[in-house]
Amino acid sequence: MSLAKNKIVFEDCKTSCVDIDSFSILENQSILITGGTGFIGKWLTEMISYINFTNNINITVYLLGRDIAKFKEEVPHLAEKTFVKFIEQDVRYLHDLPNDINYIIHAAGSPDNREHVSDPLKTIETFYKGTQSLLDVASRIQGLKKIIHLSSHQVYGKNENEEQITENSFGPFEALNVNNCYAESKRIAETLCSYYKNNLRLPIVILRPFAFIGPYQNLEKPWAINSFIRDAILGGPIRILGNGLTERSYLYASDMAYYILRSLILANIGDIYNLGSNVPISLNELALKIKSQSTVKMEVLSRSSKENYLSISKLVPNTNKITKDLNVSETFTIDEAINRTILWNQLNKKINN
Amino acid sequence: MIKQILISDPTLRDGNHACAHQLSAEQIAIYCNAADNAGVPIIEVGHGNGLGASSLQVGLSKEDDKTILETARKHLNKSKLGIHVIPGFATIKRDLVNAIDIGVDVIRVASHCTEADITQRHLGYVRERGKEAYGVLMMSHMASASVLVEEAQKMELYGAEGIIIMDSAGAYLPSDVQEKISALVNGLKVPVGFHAHNNLGMAIANSITAIEAGAKILDGTARGFGAGAGNAQLEVLIAVLEKMGYITGVDLYKILDASDIAEKKIMSTVPTIKSDSIVSGLSGVFSGFAKHVTRISNEYEVDPRDVYRELGKRRIVGGQEDIIIEVVMDLIRNRK
Amino acid sequence: MKKLKVAILGSGNIGTDLLIKIQRSEFLECVLFIGRNLSSPGMAKAIAMGVKVSDESINAIVKNSDQVDLVFDATSAKDAKIHWDILDKLGKIVVDMTPAKLGVFCIPAVNLDEVIEHRNVNMITCGGQASIPIAHVIGKTQKNVEYIEVVSSIASRSAGPATRLNLDEYVDTTENGIKHFSNVKRTKAILNLNPADPCIDMQTTIFAQVENPNMEYLQEEIDIMIKKIQEYVPGYSLLVPPVFENGRIVIMVKAQGLGDYLPKYAGNLDIINCAAIAVAEQYSKSFNNSK
Repeated sequence: MSLAKNKIVFEDCKTSCVDIDSFSILENQSILITGGTGFIGKWLTEMISYINFTNNINITVYLLGRDIAKFKEEVPHLAEKTFVKFIEQDVRYLHDLPNDINYIIHAAGSPDNREHVSDPLKTIETFYKGTQSLLDVASRIQGLKKIIHLSSHQVYGKNENEEQITENSFGPFEALNVNNCYAESKRIAETLCSYYKNNLRLPIVILRPFAFIGPYQNLEKPWAINSFIRDAILGGPIRILGNGLTERSYLYASDMAYYILRSLILANIGDIYNLGSNVPISLNELALKIKSQSTVKMEVLSRSSKENYLSISKLVPNTNKITKDLNVSETFTIDEAINRTILWNQLNKKINN
Repeated sequence: MIKQILISDPTLRDGNHACAHQLSAEQIAIYCNAADNAGVPIIEVGHGNGLGASSLQVGLSKEDDKTILETARKHLNKSKLGIHVIPGFATIKRDLVNAIDIGVDVIRVASHCTEADITQRHLGYVRERGKEAYGVLMMSHMASASVLVEEAQKMELYGAEGIIIMDSAGAYLPSDVQEKISALVNGLKVPVGFHAHNNLGMAIANSITAIEAGAKILDGTARGFGAGAGNAQLEVLIAVLEKMGYITGVDLYKILDASDIAEKKIMSTVPTIKSDSIVSGLSGVFSGFAKHVTRISNEYEVDPRDVYRELGKRRIVGGQEDIIIEVVMDLIRNRK
Repeated sequence: MKKLKVAILGSGNIGTDLLIKIQRSEFLECVLFIGRNLSSPGMAKAIAMGVKVSDESINAIVKNSDQVDLVFDATSAKDAKIHWDILDKLGKIVVDMTPAKLGVFCIPAVNLDEVIEHRNVNMITCGGQASIPIAHVIGKTQKNVEYIEVVSSIASRSAGPATRLNLDEYVDTTENGIKHFSNVKRTKAILNLNPADPCIDMQTTIFAQVENPNMEYLQEEIDIMIKKIQEYVPGYSLLVPPVFENGRIVIMVKAQGLGDYLPKYAGNLDIINCAAIAVAEQYSKSFNNSK
């Protein structure tokens, strides 16, 4: 039985997957996804499921994660697919992988900054040791064609004046701040990638994700859009914490999955790409949009330490490189993204209750 | 702004490829005298693949390294004496120690364009002995600009005072040279140089493109005497640079004279772009393979163009001359 | 048949690949896999295979001396010297995978019976294991060999940082090995790294300068030698049989790996490990026979 919420995801994959025939290159290939049971892993599996189903090209997916049982519980319709295979392991202690793997998407590690401040050592280990272990094993796989390393926009440091962050715009880093553990370990992971690419000739591509939104993203996550949607589903009020003029951008989940799979087949080895949306939106506008899509009336509250901010924080990628090289563009506007996310979460909630 | 270009002349090194490494001590003496007199800053001598490379694999030298270097040393006054050194062929203990003892001034340590880390020891040793050390990336058409920059940066860290990229297959078009040289100039602190081959008739044009993109060192040989279709023709290069207002320190008339002497005294044939060389360039095959491909193809009656195509397809690098035989055997087998 | 108890010192690529090969051997049992860091990939592999491991380096053998008959030293030339001082006193046999050159040179297809009279055996180099048996046959079958030269090409990805830094030692050791086994005075070894993707298999060409070569005799003996090598290196094959071309004998061989711990293209690492296993097995057989 196909549940209504799964149908949303399937439809979204179909919308985002503009050029499905381009994936015929992946016929009978095996893709390993580390962090395979997380948000990105689920969406990649959904997209591959759609591609396999529609074009019958028999892609195998190895999902590597620490909690397979949870995955099976959350997405039984994916877990039961025959093309999905599981490897239950902590990426930090990886020492062996099936040697029929052709592609690797390295998405292990949580971007949740609450975890980072609570357990900085684990964060550092996951990105440093985890990336090294993975690349070490990868260097012994003969038929490996490409590795997509998912880094983070946080490697750019503090953005002070750029409207859009290009792949070369680096800002300053604060020293001696434990919050840096995520950004710094993502940076060392990128340096590891350069080593393995340069000295061991591993075919590595780096993607630097910005913000995403969509089904499977936990609304408890501490990011503005998730909180706003959760507040809206709970009936409001929507609370903006800090400066409402802060600018962000959001790439819808199925577009994200499509971009990543496109990078698998089209990205230039050794290149670095921003992965995100280049359409900026302030938190004020975002809150209003979410409010307008809710059936119940609600307030938008703003809570901030200052009346006037000296500068506005902006976190919007320049996406020229990825759109040109991978020939991709967003298929979901922010309004549609919000709409689909709310709808899915409402259905998901009903089922859970 | 002074537009100074450093000229290095490997007529007596790359030219050895063109005559199966048969340059004699007498010929070396004659050309050294002439080029020294013309004010060529660096004269490079040796077996085609450099120090310690006289071998059945690449070809045996008529003269051993010691004779070549001592002869050149004796006949050079103003010009510096240079050599080409590929780790894997030349070792420090067996070859480099003696060469520096004989009095070599400039040592260019070379590797395939993606393998710069094999040059660390050799570059370090040259610097230890207080000699001029350069890094050379051969077959540079086989790597992207960003890879070349990474490899060149390693050489820079190992102590290279300049990095020369070689178009060893004569495969570049000016736009390739522009892209790669500017990336290197951008990414390096030390000067960048270019060494051309003429398979596609681009040697002079590519050399000029290189300096316009920021290169400061150029290689050229008398009459283009060098592997395959030959190198950038030195006397033409000097004339063109002079016309463009660059300073090389080389006397035009005297280098014209030197090249006339070279043609008469050291070349059995003056390099031209033969039909096979064009296919070699298109296929991206190491120019030093030309003599071997011609000989073995004749011997086993296969089309040398097919051999070049196949070598290119297999992405064979300089030093793998033995594969030519295997490719020829394969072609014969497939024909049957 | 009692299995010979062996320990592996060094948990890198060579050590780990040896471990996997030993698991298949009827003559050897790995009782101890030793490194310095329990969390290295090789260690993790050994633990997963249920092999006893230690991070105490040479001390692990000192402590468990009664349990170990033979040690594969897969560390570095520098450490191998320190280890041998200790292992010699303990009366252990050492198969030295490093370029330390402490013991007798070994090419299993040529001098297996002779080397097991000694307690420290040196495996020369990967290129040496591929080329020296052929050079030996040339030396044996031809009169007046003036010069032998061997050229190996390996995949860039199979050459780690230590190999790249130590090309000179590789050349030097291989040249000495050829002299030793062919009795030819002038030799040369050349190594090429090829970065082609997909990776190339290890390929070695042996050239010889001989006046009036006896090609028939050479061909016969080469065929015998190839079969002998294939007994312990399954991926070894003759690529181009002996030809006399341009005044030189040319023979080409290829070594494909078994794909145990390292991919198949790493034939250079595979061949030296296969050779080392053959040596250890010979010790085991001789102990069993003498009992």
